[in-house]
Amino acid sequence: MTSQTHTHLLQECRTCGGGAPVDVHFCPSCTKILTIGRQGDYFSFLGLPRKLNLDVAAVEQQFRVLSRQFHPDYFYNATPTERRASLERSSYLNDAYRTLKQPASRVAYLLDVEGVLKPADHEAGKLAPASLLEEVFALNEELDEVRDMRNGGAPDAEWRARLAAAAAPIEAKRAEHEAQLGELSNQWDALPPGDQAARTAVLGALRERVLERNYINNLLATIERETTGVGGPQL
Amino acid sequence: MSKVVGIDLGTTNSLVAYVKDGAPFVIRDKSGDGLVPSIVSAAPDGTVYVGREAQRRLLTDPRRTVYSVKRFMGKGIDDVQGDAKLLPFQVSGEPGGVVRIGLGDREFTPPEVSAFVLRELKRRAEEHFAEQGEFDNEVDRAVITVPAYFNDAQRTATRDAGRIAGLEVLRIINEPTAASLAYGLDKKNQGVIAVYDFGGGTFDISILRVEDGVFQVLSTNGDTHLGGDDIDLLIVERILADLASPTPQHTLPEGFSAQHTPESIQEIRKAVIQAKWDLSELDETDLLGVRLTRAAFEAMIRPVIDRTLAPCRQALTDASLQASDVEEVVLVGGSTRMPLVRRLVGELFGRTPHSELNPDEVVALGAALQADILVTGNREMLLLDVTPLSLGIETMGGVVSKIILRNSTIPATGSEMFTTGVDNQTAVDIHVLQGERELVGDNRSLARFRLRGIPPMPAGMPRVQVQFQIDANGILSVTASELRTNVEQTIEVKPSYGLTDDQVEQMLIDSFEHAEADFAARMLIEARNEAESVIIATEKTLRSPEFPSIAAEELTEAEQTRITQALAGLKHVIKSDSRDSIIQWTTVLNEATKHLAEVAMNRSVRAALTGKNVDTV
Repeated sequence: MTSQTHTHLLQECRTCGGGAPVDVHFCPSCTKILTIGRQGDYFSFLGLPRKLNLDVAAVEQQFRVLSRQFHPDYFYNATPTERRASLERSSYLNDAYRTLKQPASRVAYLLDVEGVLKPADHEAGKLAPASLLEEVFALNEELDEVRDMRNGGAPDAEWRARLAAAAAPIEAKRAEHEAQLGELSNQWDALPPGDQAARTAVLGALRERVLERNYINNLLATIERETTGVGGPQL
Repeated sequence: MSKVVGIDLGTTNSLVAYVKDGAPFVIRDKSGDGLVPSIVSAAPDGTVYVGREAQRRLLTDPRRTVYSVKRFMGKGIDDVQGDAKLLPFQVSGEPGGVVRIGLGDREFTPPEVSAFVLRELKRRAEEHFAEQGEFDNEVDRAVITVPAYFNDAQRTATRDAGRIAGLEVLRIINEPTAASLAYGLDKKNQGVIAVYDFGGGTFDISILRVEDGVFQVLSTNGDTHLGGDDIDLLIVERILADLASPTPQHTLPEGFSAQHTPESIQEIRKAVIQAKWDLSELDETDLLGVRLTRAAFEAMIRPVIDRTLAPCRQALTDASLQASDVEEVVLVGGSTRMPLVRRLVGELFGRTPHSELNPDEVVALGAALQADILVTGNREMLLLDVTPLSLGIETMGGVVSKIILRNSTIPATGSEMFTTGVDNQTAVDIHVLQGERELVGDNRSLARFRLRGIPPMPAGMPRVQVQFQIDANGILSVTASELRTNVEQTIEVKPSYGLTDDQVEQMLIDSFEHAEADFAARMLIEARNEAESVIIATEKTLRSPEFPSIAAEELTEAEQTRITQALAGLKHVIKSDSRDSIIQWTTVLNEATKHLAEVAMNRSVRAALTGKNVDTV
């Protein structure tokens, strides 16, 4: 790395050895594409604010502009260092675009870069949140009965209707959560910079809603599987 | 500067194209034919034929002729048992290993057979450039297309084929995407397009958004085992069943038995393909003595065409679009000439599909454009493709944990953290899979490798990050490092159904050696043929009734001895493999019999004259 006096220079150019600020894609000294060493995050990489309501058309536009700058097609005749940099930077761009394009993965990513998600949260989709225990118990009983009905030779329409009825309150719950997530997203975007207490509060609330929403989605997927026939997801 | 071409390596036909002055064109032979049938045939003398000649030999020598090899690329023997059924050539292989195909007296892997076709295309292009008076006509680099739905093993096999043929494969691109590039050139389309690519052996559907010259694939789906071949096979099987019945309706031409011989199967297949072509233009045709209407034909093949529709719907769902969001539909591949296909695709998307460009040629044109982009750095257009299948690794209980999801724009990365299960464990086994199913057994095994060199630590302590990279070709590579100690790991990736780099290198060397051996074999055969005809002519003269008198009156004792010795000498060396000796002794015998031949000639002329009336001379 560069010397202590250049602490704002966070990446090193593998071509000329010069330094460059993080989230600059091409070396300010020699203009060559930079390999990805230490980077900021998906938001800053795409030149976007760390917000939850993003203009999707603008994200797509920026994605196309950067693709035209980084894509390996344009580095075929370049040095191995530049070719590697092009591959890394294109991959990172594609990953960033894919993540930020969809609201669901965008909020999950925000929680991740803000350090709010714990490693155990990635497994949390399998544990029922306390606030949903009542619904989960009711659903499990209902599913058992539906399976008995089906095994007992009940007409399709009959047990399907039971499943649809079981799904209705959970779908309502999901709509409720989506609305809350939308409200919290607006709050997050409107926070004044530097209000650390408010940030922590909003992030904590977002985390709760996201984990619950993920769990609700898993429940609905279970019902869907029961409806379309037992077994894995069908193509 | 050597040339860079675009190649469509098809199941049925292959093409080579090139960009000149910004416009792509297909390189044709002298008769204007741009298609090279993807057929390879080995004559008993070792000569290998590719293309039209091999296609002719499919009827005369089907047991030594190989076609539809694309279906075997990147496959193991267990995958292809069904395919091998009605094929005239031998398909074998060790369980869990690469398929081997019998071609004449030798065995080849599918990439090696494909390399014969690629070498033919390379030769065709080089001949073309030489005729154009190009300073450097060598073709050593290419962009080769593959079905969008090809998995990693199939892509790698295609790249290996290129290397074996002596081509540096600059890029593997997807056929529907290549086609969209060729279409987009003129129109400068904006908006959502669907490319429906139904070829000889594979089906692809790709949904793209075109904007600012960027061709971004939103989703792709397909079936690498669905094409015109399946339609042909379906009807061939019906005819075979009919011929085996007590009252067959169909009749085979003279000389073909109704048994399942490779010859009769190829004869039926040829008639079926002709009838299929006819029915794209006509309302009815004759198929081996039976009148076949288009309606009856369409009823037969409808189930095959219907199988293309589910992937179309899935691709729309994956792109979060409705059929009505698609603004243009483009048809690619020879099988889209069938009116039924056009009708069903039109109904699905609610609009008339485009077919302005020749569906056989459009993919090669797109490949040439991509080749041009790579070498010139022309930034007018950019293709952003996706990986067709999810990439995952085996976890506890034989379940797949997905790391890169299908329809992710490539290049793409994914990573997974591993740890150890017992104290001081220094290696972890990793199994990489491709596919959408939950269980390991239902997905394609790509590779197994062992992560070594993990520092000894208590169980669960090491944090090994494995990084998966899918490059712009859709091909995977793997790196890993232990995060606590920052130790880079050694990874030996053994492809499950592929060739190692060393094997590919060896095949490239073998192909050179065999090219020489093939050539030498042909030269030896020619020398033998020449010697044979001199021996026959000499012996005929020696046996003729006039010879005793000629010998007595015109030839010296020494001349007679020389003839006898030369004849014996040539008859001896002709059995050897020494072309030089054969040619040498052929010359000796020719010299020795020169005087005899002259005398015999004169005598026969004189006899002819004296035998006739002077007036008639």
